[in-house]
This record gives sequence, structure tokens and C-alpha cells, in this order.
Amino acid sequence: MEHAETAGNKIVFSVWFGLLGLTVLEVILAYRQLPLETMFSVLMVLSVIKAALIIAYFMHLRYEQPSLFVTLIPALVFILIMMTAIFADSSRLAHMRSLVQ
Amino acid sequence: MSSSSDGPLTAATAHGGHDIPSWGGGSLPYAVPSKKLGMWLFIVSDAITFSAVIFAYGYLRLAAAAWPRPFGTPSIANATVMTFVLLSSSVAMVLAVRASSLGKVSGAVGWLVATALGGVVFDILHIREWLGLIGEGVRPFHNPWGTPMFGAAFFTMTGLHMLHVTIGVVYLLVIAVGFGRRKFSAADVEVSGLYWHFVDLVWMFIFPLVYLLSAKTA
Amino acid sequence: MAMEAQQHQHTAPTGFIRKYIFSLDHKVIGKQYYFLAIASVFLGMVLSWLVRIHLVWPNVHVWGLGALSPAGAPGGVISPEYYLSLLTIHGTLMVFFVLTTAPQAGFGNYALPIQIGAEDMAFPTLNMLSFWVTFLALCALVSTLFVEDGPPISGWTAYPPLSAVGSLAGPGQGMGQNLWAVSIALFCIGSLLGALNFITTTVDLRCKGMTLMRMPLTCWAWLITAILSLLSFAVLFAACVLLILDRNAGTSFFLPSGLLVNGQLQNHSGGSPLLWQHLFWFFGHPEVYIAIVPGFGVISHVLSVFSRKPVLGYKVIVTCLLAIGFLSFTVWGHHMFLSGMSPYSGFLFSIPTLIITIPATIVSLLWLGTVYGGKLRFTTCMMFALGFVSVFVTGGLGGMFLAQPSLDIFLHGTYFVVGHFHMVMGVAAIFGMFAGTYFWFPKMFGRMMNERLGKIHFWITFIGVYCIFMPMHFIGLEGMPRRYSSFVNDLMQPLMPVHKFMTIAALITGAAQFIFLFNLFWSMYKGPKAPENPWESTTLEWTVPSPPPFDNFGGKHPVVYHDAYEYGDVHNGKDYVMQTDPAGQPAKS
Repeated sequence: MEHAETAGNKIVFSVWFGLLGLTVLEVILAYRQLPLETMFSVLMVLSVIKAALIIAYFMHLRYEQPSLFVTLIPALVFILIMMTAIFADSSRLAHMRSLVQ
Repeated sequence: MSSSSDGPLTAATAHGGHDIPSWGGGSLPYAVPSKKLGMWLFIVSDAITFSAVIFAYGYLRLAAAAWPRPFGTPSIANATVMTFVLLSSSVAMVLAVRASSLGKVSGAVGWLVATALGGVVFDILHIREWLGLIGEGVRPFHNPWGTPMFGAAFFTMTGLHMLHVTIGVVYLLVIAVGFGRRKFSAADVEVSGLYWHFVDLVWMFIFPLVYLLSAKTA
Repeated sequence: MAMEAQQHQHTAPTGFIRKYIFSLDHKVIGKQYYFLAIASVFLGMVLSWLVRIHLVWPNVHVWGLGALSPAGAPGGVISPEYYLSLLTIHGTLMVFFVLTTAPQAGFGNYALPIQIGAEDMAFPTLNMLSFWVTFLALCALVSTLFVEDGPPISGWTAYPPLSAVGSLAGPGQGMGQNLWAVSIALFCIGSLLGALNFITTTVDLRCKGMTLMRMPLTCWAWLITAILSLLSFAVLFAACVLLILDRNAGTSFFLPSGLLVNGQLQNHSGGSPLLWQHLFWFFGHPEVYIAIVPGFGVISHVLSVFSRKPVLGYKVIVTCLLAIGFLSFTVWGHHMFLSGMSPYSGFLFSIPTLIITIPATIVSLLWLGTVYGGKLRFTTCMMFALGFVSVFVTGGLGGMFLAQPSLDIFLHGTYFVVGHFHMVMGVAAIFGMFAGTYFWFPKMFGRMMNERLGKIHFWITFIGVYCIFMPMHFIGLEGMPRRYSSFVNDLMQPLMPVHKFMTIAALITGAAQFIFLFNLFWSMYKGPKAPENPWESTTLEWTVPSPPPFDNFGGKHPVVYHDAYEYGDVHNGKDYVMQTDPAGQPAKS
């Protein structure tokens, strides 16, 4: 039964090292003179990778029935994607504020 | 009992141990016990709450003409150590869940306490950071670097996360004591682990968004 | 698996407190939610009377109101600010504590576990907690009526800056608005706990043979509503936390700089009132479906039972409900066409809003198809179900106008919107609740309700709501603005007779609700004893005694062999097949 399977020590510690490595990478990036948008994008991509590692291995989702993943994660992702619609007004606000000043 | 908790959920167990020969109809699509599914659903909704707060921060930061970047090397180093502590506590949690599912009670309790200890260290380091900022004059409505919303966003996001860590520490200790006295099963340990990893996961976003994007560069 | 076993083998408590107050039994909790909603709906209705009376007779003395709020209604005459306070509490009570609690948490709690063949909800303790958190939230809200400067004046949507700047902004904006925000935050917690309980129960606790596609449509509706609650209340919770911080910690999430309130320059800067609107309506639109989808379920169910026909297009209805749930997260911006939002996003929000009418229309047509050619039994319950279809379609048609930004810009600030959402969300959902009450009352209380009083109640209510809310559409088209407390010396004066007509209709329709209240409590004690299956319905709750025993099935475990809606084929002298009947032949589709 797939369900009973768990991550072994080797996997757990590799994931741990992977997460630490990504964190160090993020910190190094923070000191690069990158434009804010680029840095934000890169940091978010790295963070999503970290989150995926935590969900898959620490939270065990990789070893559950696929249906659990299929119901939980797309719902969450869908909500988050929809919420990004608010940024249209945020950038508009920035534009209008720049006109006032 | 504790060793079977992690096994496949059969129709009989889903019905509270009553003897039903087979699951004729409605299959259990997730094959996970109710508590675990409940915790997953809670995590989804809590993730949305966090996201809404983070999105509010993004909305205001994007609209702001300037946003302070006050975190010097000591703050970034502190936050990196906090990340390390939290990630390590997650590994301890994984080990606690495994020990509990193998029926090793003292091992599980030990790892649970270690996990909670990680949470306490995280909180202490974070409160130190807070006190430092407050000492520099940062308030929810004012800070020395302009754009008053900086303090509001910082305290709200990190405060909400710290609250989750603190609740998690209490939760883990309750589970540790209960599991030590055989009042809780290995499944309960696993469910508490889900919550702890989620708190860890949220920090993976708070850390870059709050600290790294406001790091003071030369 | 002792953990699972412990949850379901609790024995019936004997003490009064454990049995009726802090009960873990889903049936008792369902009734608690139901009575919470009844109390809220009558309070909300009385407030709406006061609102209507103030609009047409602004100088009338309302008995007792002067004592309740000496500042807001000196001598019992409602001041314009107090009018807004009453409006706020009316809206908040109705939307949160009536439309969200009764159809989902009330009937859902009561009937869902029985209908899927479970002994209780998945987490009974959590279930009790969510009720008591909701109860606390109600207490916090109602207490605003008794605090010094009264309830907030910012409406149930609590738009900043008004809601975020504190007592300077007007009466009720101090303590009242704080209590409001705390109340709603608590309500969110209660709803979230309830939602995850509902989902887990539906997924994990169905009895043998109860496949997802054999579930009654009520269960589908409750499941989908629970998913919507889980995903949307989380956003409102965050918004409430930020609002509380803005009000009490000096943050400026929702407050722009340069804000002048009552002549005083505010110290806030950097926030955006639009942010609140986005977060609020991101919850607010799914909330509309949280209120109405359980009604969809009940109505589909009831129409089939009393038409003695299977539901037409069961799978299509399920698909449509899922589609509505999905789309409900993509349309919140249509509440904000007038807010100063980016016009491009206005256009983008308009399209899914128009698309969402397609599944709603399909469902409505399938209801008509279910009824068509059936052997109709005109019980009160059935009449309310048919009334639901009527008011839902009528109200829904108004939505087609409002979905288009160019029309909405004119209509949004008028009574057209008031008429629209009262019809489609308020009245339709209330009709769903009435149908549910008349349908499940025999099961819940073991006695039958009086049909004659029920029919009187139905006809007055049905005609009454059209008399109240249809004219609102027309005066809205004439440009009558909403939320204004007075039109006495106004160019809107010629429309005052219409307002008077609506107010009188509201008073009469409201009074008719006391017939219902009397019927409810009188039948509870004096009604004729209910048989096990008074409606000759097929689902599991009608296989157990009325009222059901503590563990629902008396220690037995039901096994399901049939779909939920097998009506029409006569054999053994019955025109229906119980879901648990091993011998009956499946109906031809």
C-alpha cells in the first residue's frame, strides 16, 4: 500500500539540506543589486520550491493518495491566483500617487 | 494500536470499529483518517488567511512610492538563524512522527519536546528582533525611515506568524504529554506534525518577503 | 483504530446541560443553530420595520426606542444616524446570522449525517465549539444595540474610511464598530470550524453503498457550501484582523493619507479603502452562494419528493452547483464597479458574472423539468419550494442588468440593487429555509406542522415579498438612491407613495411571519404525532423514528442500494423506493 510508505532518513536529511541551501541562496541573492521586481520573482520561485518540498516530504503529501493532493492544492492555488487580481488596483494607485506628487 | 494507526484505513475502522465486511459503495477517496483530513482543510483555510494578509502587504508596498529597507546584516543573520531553527525543528517533527508510528513512546516524546524547543528558540529570537526595532522607534503607525505602513505590515505579518508558532508550541507539548500517557495515538502526533510543518512553510514566505526584500544593501 | 472508535461510540448524555446546552449531538446543535437563526431573523425583521417606518413616517414615535437609545432615537424618533445603525445591524444579522447559519449549519448539521448514514459529524466537539463561537459572535453584535453610542453606521459591508477611523466618524463608530469587527471575526472562526467539519463528514463518514453520486442533492449542496465557506471566510477573517488593527493599533491598511474626518486631519497614511473592498468582496460574493446553494439543495430535493418524480438531471445539477461554486470566486469585482476600481478589471469581472447565470439558469430549468408532468402534492413545503423558484428567477433576472458595468454605474447606488439582492439572496434563501422547516419539522420534533396555517403563511409571504421588493426595482430605475434616510424634502418626493406601499407591505408580510412562529411552537407541542416517513420520501432520515434516536440509527448500520430520487414506478403499492430497500428495483431513468 502506497499510503504506508514514508520518507527514509536519507530523504528527510537531503530535503533538510536542500531547504537550508535554498535559504542560503536567498540570503545571498538579497545582497545582490537586483531590481526589486526581479529579486521578488526569484525569491518567490525559490520559496515556492521550498514550500513544495515541505508539503511533499515533511507533510507527507507525496505519500498520500493522489486524490488528496488533487483536491487540496489546486483549490488553494486557484484562490491565490484569483486574489492577484487586486494588484491591478495597487499598480493603478501607485500610478495615481505618482501623478499627485 | 499505535502501529496500526498509520496503516490503510479500512471500511471497518472508518465506522468506529464495527464489523462491516467490505466497503460496498462510497469509497474513501483520500484514504486518510478524519482528523488528518480535518487538519489539512484547516491548513488550506489558514494558508488563505495568511495569503490575504501577505497580499494586503504586497498591495500597499506596490502602491507606495518608497518602502524602507532597514534590515542590516545583524537582522538578516538573526532571521536566517531563525529559519535554520524552524527548519531543523521540522526535521525533529518528522522524526517524532516516525518514532510514534513505530510505537517508540519515549523517542516520540523526546523529538516532540525538541520540536517545541525549536519553536521557543524561534520565538525568543524573534521577540529580540521586535524589541530591537521597537527600540529604534518602529511602531505600527510610525518609523524612523518614512512610509508608516512599514511598521504595520511588519508587526502584523510577523506577529500573526509568531502567534501560530506559540500556539504550535503549546499544541506540541500537549500532544507530547498526552502521547507519553498513551492518551493520544500516533495519528494525533502526525496531525500535530502537519500543523507544525505548515507554520514552518509560512515562514518560508514571510522570511523573504519581510526581511530579504527589505535588506539594507550597500 | 481506537481514535476513530472513540468519536462515534459516545453514549447519550443524561444531564440537562450536556444534553441540550453543551451537546455534542449534531441534531441538538442543528436545532441550536436553527433557533439562533430564528431569533436573529425576527430581530432583523423588526429592525427592517423600523427602517421602513423611518423612511415614510420620519417623525413617528416608536415605543421603547427612546429608552433603548436616548441619543440615537430621542423620544423614540429615529435620527438619520440611528437609521444607519439599524440598517447595519439588520444587514449583518440577516446575512451572517440568518442566511449563513440556518440553511447550512442548521439544517445541514441536523440532516447531513443522517442522510449519509453517519452516527454524528466527524468532529462532534468541534461542532459544539463552532456553535458556541457563533453564539458569542451574535452576543457581540446584539450588544452594540446597548452600548452608549449605539451600533455602527457603516453598513454590513463596513467600508472604510468610515469604519476604520473610530468614534470621530460618527455615532457607533467607536465601541459599536469594534464590537462589530470582533463579532464578525468570531463568526468567521465558527464558520471555518463548521466548514471543515462538514467536508470531513461528507468525505469520510458515508455509510456502505452511499457513493457520492447517490447522495441526496442536499448533501451535495452542503458539501459545496462548506468548501466555499472554508475558502472565503479565511479572507474575511484576515480583513477583520486588519480592520481591528487599523482601529485600535494605529495601522493604516485601509486608510489613505490626507483624510479629513469631521474637520480633523487624520494621522494615517499609505493605506487604501479599495483594499478592504477587495478583501471583503472576495469573501462577499462566495457568501452569496453560501446563503443560496443550500437552498438549491433543499429545493431540488423537495421538488422531487412532492412531484413524485426523480430529479431531472441529477448529475447536471451537481455539475452546475460545482460550476457555480467555482465561478463564485471569480466575480467579486462586480460589487465594485462604482468603487473607482480599475475599469479594465471591471470589464474582466463582468464576463464571469454573466457566465455564472448559465449554470443558475440550467438548474432553474431542471427544477421546472422535475415538476413538469409530476403528480404534484401541494403541501406547504412544496409551495415554498415552487415559490423559491419564482423569487429566485425574478431576483436573478435583475442580476443580468447589474452584471454589466455600464448599467451598474447607474443602478448600483439605487434601490434596484436593494430589490435585487433581497429577492435573490434574502427572500429566496428564506423560502429555502421555510421549505426546509416544513419538510424536516416532523423529523426534528416528532410532530406535524399545521398545513392550514402553513398555507396562509405561504400566500401572505409570497404575495408580500413581491409587493415589497418588486417596486424597489422600479424606483431604482427612477434613480431613487439607497441608504438615504430621508426623502421628505427631496425631488424623490413623487415616489413616496410607492415607498408607503412597500412599508405597509413589509409590515403585513412581517406580521404574517408570526403565524409561522406560532405554527412552529404550537406544533412542537400540540401538533399530531409524526409518522416515520410522512412525505413518502426515500432518503435515510425517513428510515428512522421521528425524532431519531441519539445515534441516529439505533445501533444499526444502514446500507444503501439506490439513488436518492427513485419515485414514480409503482410496485408493492408504493411509488417510491427507499434508498435502503434491498429488494426494490432501481427506477428507470
